Amino acid sequence: MNIAEIADRLNFEIVCGSTGKNNMVTWGYTSDMLSNVMGNASEGNLWITMQSHKNILAVALLKELSGIVLVNGHRPDTETVTQAEKEGVVILATDLPAFETAGRLYQLLKENEDIQS
Amino acid sequence: MNDLSLHILDITQNSIRAGASEIYITVNEDSATDKLTIEIRDNGKGIDKELVEKVTDPFFSTRSTRKIGMGLPLLKQNAEQCEGSLNIVSEKGTGTMVTAIFKKSHIDCPPMGNMAATIKSLLCSGHSYHLVYKHEIDGREFVFDSREISEILEGLNVNTPKIINFIKEMIDENLKNIGAS
Repeated sequence: MNIAEIADRLNFEIVCGSTGKNNMVTWGYTSDMLSNVMGNASEGNLWITMQSHKNILAVALLKELSGIVLVNGHRPDTETVTQAEKEGVVILATDLPAFETAGRLYQLLKENEDIQS
Repeated sequence: MNDLSLHILDITQNSIRAGASEIYITVNEDSATDKLTIEIRDNGKGIDKELVEKVTDPFFSTRSTRKIGMGLPLLKQNAEQCEGSLNIVSEKGTGTMVTAIFKKSHIDCPPMGNMAATIKSLLCSGHSYHLVYKHEIDGREFVFDSREISEILEGLNVNTPKIINFIKEMIDENLKNIGAS
């Protein structure tokens, strides 16, 4: 499943970096601690966080994540938006809290996995 | 970076990579001003002014020189999240001083973590340098000086497991005595 399909199904807004909207999502990872994401997330993961600082882009690029979902109505900082466009890192946004965002994403990815197998 | 001791380890490793022979780590916890200040000063090769502005930008560090890494950007972000700040003063050929200030009582202020383990890792890094670690808590202080240890040992190698573990225990004990949590 790619970012655009997920955004569509779960009603996430694509805020910036839409060049990455066709990135395939392997799985999700939820954490607000950047070093923890650097240590534990895997390539292709869609990262759920409330952090909006541009450091999130560096982490996403380093770990080759498929994208970032900002929860709780958080929006990326202006600097983050500019950099995300430049680097092609797609940032989604939702008003849902992290727990519900992760829950819905988990369910969707699981269903999709079942259909394919 | 779950705690401050890991940040200190990370930033001090920059000093080691910069070829420092003198490294001073100072931690000051002050309840009156509600500030926790970490200062790491070295006599390494230093960086020029333009670079100082760039090292806290992850898109400089991850792109052009992987050596610098995410250490400074993350420390800056963490300090600022706790109503604190990060300041870097550096001069080419003289050295660098990194100062991070945290608001001690801020709910997001990370715990100190295991400073004894950080010092232990630094002593085991395989490089030889003079390390001074000073920790102050509300006027009480403890100073660890690697040169003093070398003098006491009269030339014995500091880098043996027995001595390193002894140093770690000594630091733990001393930190407890000055009221470290």
